Amino acid sequence: MALKINDNGTDREMTADEEAAYLAFSAQIQDKQQKLIEAEQKKLADKQAVLDKLGLTADEAKALLG
Amino acid sequence: MALQTFTAGQTLTAAQMTSLQANTYNQTVSTKTASYTLVAADVGTRIVMNSASATTITVNTSLFSAGDTLFIQNIGAGVCTVTAGTATVSSAGPLAIPQNGSGLLYFTSAGVSIFYPSAVTASAGGLTCVKAETTFSASSSVTADSILTSSYTNYLVIVNWQTAAAQNLYMRLRIGGVSTSTNYNSQDLIGTGTTTSAQRFTGATEWMIGQSSGGAFNSTTILNIYQPQVATVTTMTANIIRNNGNYTTGLHAILTTGNQTDSTQFDGIQLLPSGGTITGNYAVYGYSKTV
Repeated sequence: MALKINDNGTDREMTADEEAAYLAFSAQIQDKQQKLIEAEQKKLADKQAVLDKLGLTADEAKALLG
Repeated sequence: MALQTFTAGQTLTAAQMTSLQANTYNQTVSTKTASYTLVAADVGTRIVMNSASATTITVNTSLFSAGDTLFIQNIGAGVCTVTAGTATVSSAGPLAIPQNGSGLLYFTSAGVSIFYPSAVTASAGGLTCVKAETTFSASSSVTADSILTSSYTNYLVIVNWQTAAAQNLYMRLRIGGVSTSTNYNSQDLIGTGTTTSAQRFTGATEWMIGQSSGGAFNSTTILNIYQPQVATVTTMTANIIRNNGNYTTGLHAILTTGNQTDSTQFDGIQLLPSGGTITGNYAVYGYSKTV
């Protein structure tokens, strides 16, 4: 079933070109969001790795650094 | 019939009675084709201004008494302005009477009058709706073309929307029915509870203008677009109300600023969910350039 567009107030099915453009947009956005999530997870993992190396908990590190 | 002074013993004729009655039901008319200064005999009558060029009606003192009234109307193309001569003329509205406008001049004393305009040119509102509220349901894209014109410099867009699944809402600017997908930059400030965070996107293919956790919680985006029709950078700010899974502890406030760095004169917008579909409504308003 074709995707639906509200085109200037009128509901209709997307043309093949519109659907292709939307799917490309959506894939690009999903990819971007996934990369953001992965970057955030990596940041947290890196932080935890440093804490592990120092043998500190997050609360202890916070108390030390203020 | 102009105001008469009857004296004791005078016989009131049928013709006079008829004339007086006629003035009550079909007011005595005095048409003027040039600027005019009111005289005492104008009390209770209708002054009709009929001039293609601007005229004035001058109001002087000591001609009328408290409670006297007269009606002024303008059928000419030239604006007629009620003007204080030696009497004062106050009004809560304009003293200028446009074509087919009118007003009542009321005297509170011999030298003080009030003009009550009965037809005035309405001033334009601060916001003009350029795209009436439009509903959309289960849509993967929403477009609005030919809504951004040089009539307005800045625009307000309000979008109420919800999604079944967790999605973000994005916007692209359009020209000639085609969306532009380059050179969008944005900076977000996100607050929920006591936690704040920020994020920046550069060289993006769209602006992120909304977030939803899904579950059909209502989200609202109040977005201003600045100078989309000017051949310069288009900027925007958006306030985003996000209800992340519930309406209490899930409430997020998101402030977004952004720009699109092309010099394109955009004339439309496109709303896009990151996936799935959106249901809701939107309207677009232009900010008036003049008072």
